[in-house]
Amino acid sequence: MSKLIELRDLRKVYGDGVEVIALNGVTFTIDEGEFLSIVGPSGSGKSTLLNMLGLLDSPTSGSIILRGVDVTTASHSERARLRNKELGFVFQYHHLLPEFSALENVMMPLLIAGKRDKAARERARQLLEEVGLGDRMDHRPTELSGGQNQRVAIARALANHPAIVIGDELTGNLDTKSSEMIYETLRELNRSMDQTFILVTHDMDMAEKTDRILRIVDGKLVCEMRRVGGEFTSKDICQMRE
Amino acid sequence: MSPMFEWILAKRHLMSNPRGVLFTVASVALAVGFIVVTMGIMESNNEIMLSRMVEENPHLIVNPKEEEKFIHLHRTLDLLIWSYPGVISVSPRLQVQAAAKYKDNVKGVQILGVYPEDEEGMMGVREKMVRGDFYDLLFKKHAVVVGTKLAEDLELNFGEKIRLSRRNESMDLEVIGLVEMGTGSDSTLVYMPLETAQEFLREGDIVSQVGVKLGDYNAASDVAAALRSATAYDARSWQDQNQDLLNMMESRDLTNTVFFILILAIAGLGVANTMIMIVTRRTKEIGILAAMGASRRSIMKIFVIESMLQAPLAAILGIGLAFSVSKLLLMYPVAIPAPGMAENQLVVTLTPELLAYAMIFPVAVNFLAGIYPAYKAARLDPVEAIDSE
Repeated sequence: MSKLIELRDLRKVYGDGVEVIALNGVTFTIDEGEFLSIVGPSGSGKSTLLNMLGLLDSPTSGSIILRGVDVTTASHSERARLRNKELGFVFQYHHLLPEFSALENVMMPLLIAGKRDKAARERARQLLEEVGLGDRMDHRPTELSGGQNQRVAIARALANHPAIVIGDELTGNLDTKSSEMIYETLRELNRSMDQTFILVTHDMDMAEKTDRILRIVDGKLVCEMRRVGGEFTSKDICQMRE
Repeated sequence: MSPMFEWILAKRHLMSNPRGVLFTVASVALAVGFIVVTMGIMESNNEIMLSRMVEENPHLIVNPKEEEKFIHLHRTLDLLIWSYPGVISVSPRLQVQAAAKYKDNVKGVQILGVYPEDEEGMMGVREKMVRGDFYDLLFKKHAVVVGTKLAEDLELNFGEKIRLSRRNESMDLEVIGLVEMGTGSDSTLVYMPLETAQEFLREGDIVSQVGVKLGDYNAASDVAAALRSATAYDARSWQDQNQDLLNMMESRDLTNTVFFILILAIAGLGVANTMIMIVTRRTKEIGILAAMGASRRSIMKIFVIESMLQAPLAAILGIGLAFSVSKLLLMYPVAIPAPGMAENQLVVTLTPELLAYAMIFPVAVNFLAGIYPAYKAARLDPVEAIDSE
């Protein structure tokens, strides 16, 4: 497996006057096709880390290497291009555009990328079929359930064949059954397309279904576990649950 | 080619907020309609005033030399004036102030002694005659044509005799015509043959001014200047004679322009306010678009397009409003006074130029008003925008 993204000694300090260290020297690497989760208590720096990985925010120091290219100090327009081509986001509250149908929502990243309407429509149709919403394409977000909307959001995140799809508490607003369906969808996409998923969550049940778990506490990576066979193993002893 | 996603988003935003769009469009349309109507009224009013200045008066008046009361060699002067290109008529005139008396009524009058044919060439008096024929002055020496208002004030009728007095001189003359020039002069004007006026004044074969009409009234200043430099006569163009009125029209136009800019600015602030509200309401969506890879430039474009898309509708409504007002004014005429002239009807002239303004104003207003909110939208921090409530 080749290296997809690498974070080197990442620090993020916020504050006007009083300094708040959100990330404090985080270093790790994610390979292509990984299905991993980042866990930690509230205020641990999970969301900040997600914003760094998603190129929505810049670190105070350290570097982000995407496919071997240092993108830490990339310009606004270059970051926008990378977000469009290399990254996909799925948020807790789906955040679909309310005036657009499921199909149009999935088409949007393709249109932003400059794809022709017909090609974008075809790709969006195919993705919605893949996430099991072939019969709901023309429905608007208000006409779909929470789970269905989240699947539309997953299809949207996959539109431009991104290197990484980042999920931010993407099952946090769903019932158990819908959460399970979303997990199954992601797992299937990970297997069939070798799609890399990074799930930021505080839901350990969801985290334990992934293949690798990174735990962040107080802005530091305190524990890392990998699934080997059916079990999680770690080099160090670490407490995953709060 | 597929439409840009910025267009698709802007259009959908507008369609999702028809009421907001309607109010914004209405405010701009109202401003545009008001401005176009006012400009149309001003333009037609200016045209009427200008046409009265140039069509109902000599384009050029040659007055006596400095320190001379009269023009003595007016025939030589006439010939000289005729030598200038573009001259279409020349009318020597003798102006005399006098008192007119009919029965017990007395009024100050302005006598114009003229050669009827020359005066007709310059002023087109015959078509303004209410009664009688102006050319009868060619054959009747002791006769006058008087202004309609003067006849009314003196209670004087056609065919009756009027007594004109000046110092110790007086003369009885028959009223052989009534004329309506359509200006304030109708209450004082008395036309008579030039020889009769000269006889009344007892100053010999003199005139007090020579009126000139040109083929192109815009050439009046040049001809006047040429005459002033070639002779010692005081030649004045219609612009010189109406300088105050022209200055007043110019300053009124300037005031109105400032007024229009203010109205457009107010309409623009309304549009900007609506756009700021839209950006605020869509902050989260802007964050999501940024996460999907929309550049700052694209986000700015969305909101500028959204603002601009409302402009054509505002233009159409504004033009419709202007047309309706102009039609209403035709159906229900409103009179407006013009200084020193007869009353005008309020008319809106919607020239192609004005209609072009009506198209340009909303585009300019909506573009300028959309830029700031769009810029603010483009500068939003995606993380904060996504987390916003």
